[in-house]
Amino acid sequence: MSAEVKILDGNTFVVSDDSGDIEASLTDPTGLFSFDTRFLSRWVLTIDGQRLNPLSVDDLQYFETRFFLVPGTGTVYIDAKLSVIRQRAVGGGFHEELTILNHDDKPVDLAVRIEAACDFADLFEVKDDLKKKGEYYTRVDDGRLVLGYRRETYVRETWVSATEACAVDDGGLTFVVHVEPHEQWSTDLHVAIGRDVKGATSGSLKYERHAKKARPNMELSLEKWMGDAPSLDCDWDPLKRTYQRSLVDLAALRFSPLSLPGHYLPAAGLPWFMTMFGRDSIFTSLQALPFASELAHTTLVALGLWQGSRHDDFRDEDPGRILHEMRFGEMTAFEERPHSPYYGSVDATPLYVVLLDEYERWTGDAKLVKALERQARAALAWIDDYADLQGNGYIAYQRRNEKTGLENQCWKDSWDSISYRDGRLPGFPRATCELQGYAYDAKVRGARLARTVWRDPAFAERLEKEAADLKRRFNRDFWVKDGEYYAIALEPDGSKVDALASNNGHLLWSGIVDKSKAKAVAHHLMSPAMYSGWGVRTLAEGQGRYNPIGYHVGTIWPFDNSFIAWGLRRYGFKEEAARIAAGILDAAEFFEGRLPEAFGGYERELTKYPVQYPTSCSPQAWSTGAPLLFLRTMLGLEPIGDHLVVDPALPQGIGRLELLDIPGRWGRRDAFGRGRMDVGSRLRRGAQLGVIKPEKKPRKGKAAE
Amino acid sequence: MAELDESLLETLSERSQEQPITAFNGIVRFDVRDGDRVDEWYLTIAKGIVTVARKGGEPDCVVTGDVTTFDAVLSGKANAMAALLRGALAAQGKFILMTALQRLFPGSPGADGLPTAGYAERQS
Repeated sequence: MSAEVKILDGNTFVVSDDSGDIEASLTDPTGLFSFDTRFLSRWVLTIDGQRLNPLSVDDLQYFETRFFLVPGTGTVYIDAKLSVIRQRAVGGGFHEELTILNHDDKPVDLAVRIEAACDFADLFEVKDDLKKKGEYYTRVDDGRLVLGYRRETYVRETWVSATEACAVDDGGLTFVVHVEPHEQWSTDLHVAIGRDVKGATSGSLKYERHAKKARPNMELSLEKWMGDAPSLDCDWDPLKRTYQRSLVDLAALRFSPLSLPGHYLPAAGLPWFMTMFGRDSIFTSLQALPFASELAHTTLVALGLWQGSRHDDFRDEDPGRILHEMRFGEMTAFEERPHSPYYGSVDATPLYVVLLDEYERWTGDAKLVKALERQARAALAWIDDYADLQGNGYIAYQRRNEKTGLENQCWKDSWDSISYRDGRLPGFPRATCELQGYAYDAKVRGARLARTVWRDPAFAERLEKEAADLKRRFNRDFWVKDGEYYAIALEPDGSKVDALASNNGHLLWSGIVDKSKAKAVAHHLMSPAMYSGWGVRTLAEGQGRYNPIGYHVGTIWPFDNSFIAWGLRRYGFKEEAARIAAGILDAAEFFEGRLPEAFGGYERELTKYPVQYPTSCSPQAWSTGAPLLFLRTMLGLEPIGDHLVVDPALPQGIGRLELLDIPGRWGRRDAFGRGRMDVGSRLRRGAQLGVIKPEKKPRKGKAAE
Repeated sequence: MAELDESLLETLSERSQEQPITAFNGIVRFDVRDGDRVDEWYLTIAKGIVTVARKGGEPDCVVTGDVTTFDAVLSGKANAMAALLRGALAAQGKFILMTALQRLFPGSPGADGLPTAGYAERQS
């Protein structure tokens, strides 16, 4: 399988090889996918029985690609008399314009064939290599090939058709083509999702036949999306590129919940996590608030709609709990997986209240806060009523679904992420420290909303009292005295799980850290054991389980760092926040502005470039949101009453920075800043923020797209 | 002929009075099939409170399925969203109303979702 080419529209996407062909197996994640189901697993073009050779691929947009091909599959360049163009766009299935050009002086007669087949695999089956329980069928129906799968009442169909005359059989479409010298032949191929998740049978594409200008919904809104976002200009070109990349990727990651057509929230990652997640959608909405607050709006409404309302062990659901993940595939449909939706996350619920408050602070949209009062109260009640699994007043997690539920229900969800300094793993239930910070923040912010919007001062007072009490106990129970930092978790018996981890940064963000302890925490975060030069490691070097390429035990997560920097800023550590921003933004340049989920925790001096952690999802929503949050943090943007306060603390290398038309309750405001923070001055390579003094002029020839 | 147990719908209505579905208004019709027979149930949501009747106005959302599926979903033995995804139930019209309504369906029988220690403390 050669290079993967991905295009998408919402949660419909195509992954193919670089000639545009799809040859998936049950374990090979290529094909046309929609709502977590594969709708095409084979799509192979041949001319006179020959496969085609890719010359180049043009990624036109995230929903559109063009493949240039020639006959013959050898590695040696052939002076082809024919060339083939496949231009493909996704939208309600996909549409492919197939064009064959004859460059010869003689006419040609060709047999052009498209093979099509589908296994209708659930994404979970693709990941776990499981066997299907239903039956397949194919039929030719009104000149169209119908590929189908049925299991009891579950029916999914794909319809394949073409605009030019062709012979249709169970395995595909065959065209008898005659092309005059220097002429071309063309047909439109339609792959429509015939029976989908809602049982719809329309099979309609987002195109009319021959209406070549018709495009997926997303292109129509992309222009508006970009136009609505604040515009950025600065002396340091890479930041302009990263900002553009982030906005476009965030647009691509928009997902419209079934219940809220026309409204979009950030899905977690592309392509395998194009669905609603509690934690990821909330964190990304927070990062994007100053840039696109409608993402937060839809996130709050959709998660509120699906808020837990009963006890369900299979789904780890409780009343008031915010969902973890929603899925739409066959295994979810038959309750073989709990994602309809699954509730196994403990941070999403307090973070829901945090987002609601932050959203109101930026937008002044008290109407939504009123409309979601019941949900916010239920979320706050859940913290005390259902999350206190250790019986000590702290949020903790332990799954009730032991077969298909999640063992670790915090953001560091891998098996070894929570450990002692010596590497031992604690038992369950686990009360990780950042959860207590989120709970504290939720209570403080809930109190503000109760007082200013819900007009319930008694409730506000109760929440404030609980928050103050939680803060006092937390600073006593989690503080590791001999290390001067907060333990990563508490055991049920009260033992401190004493590894030093990046969770400390989230505590600063939440505000639960005692002022007297903040300096020691900040010092740890910026120490050589934690700060690599690119960013803060998930786990400090020297801890038992530290591994620079361990998923949550040493790698650097841009999302994590964006909240750590926000936390540092909150406690007045401007320079430290700027240094973290500088490191991650430098790293972004190595990934052409698209930050990966995580990269290696190796020291910057050692590798000179950030080593990407192998991961299947890119872009990842909260990595995409990280540069946006860094901009907010570096510019010191803060809504105070009806005003936007700007208090810049920028790395020197950025030079002059302006962010224009920042939307909020004030209408639109501009923010300006100049890089004055010395975040490291070792001269080494070209304009990186973290290691060099600013250049006088912006570099030529690398302007932002 | 099997018929839908009306008390299941009454329970739904009672539950909506205890914890109304926030600010929703609309009419959902359940078309309950048993062989060739279709029983229509009108669930009228007004400010989150559900009332149940055999007759009603123009529905905003129609949910169709057989009596076994409705029975399983309304008694907590099956999950409504999963039933919709596998086509055992089909919803037409405003899906948001079905999303809102399903919050009133009971949880799985025998679920161990007991409130935790902190809850007991607050109740005493």
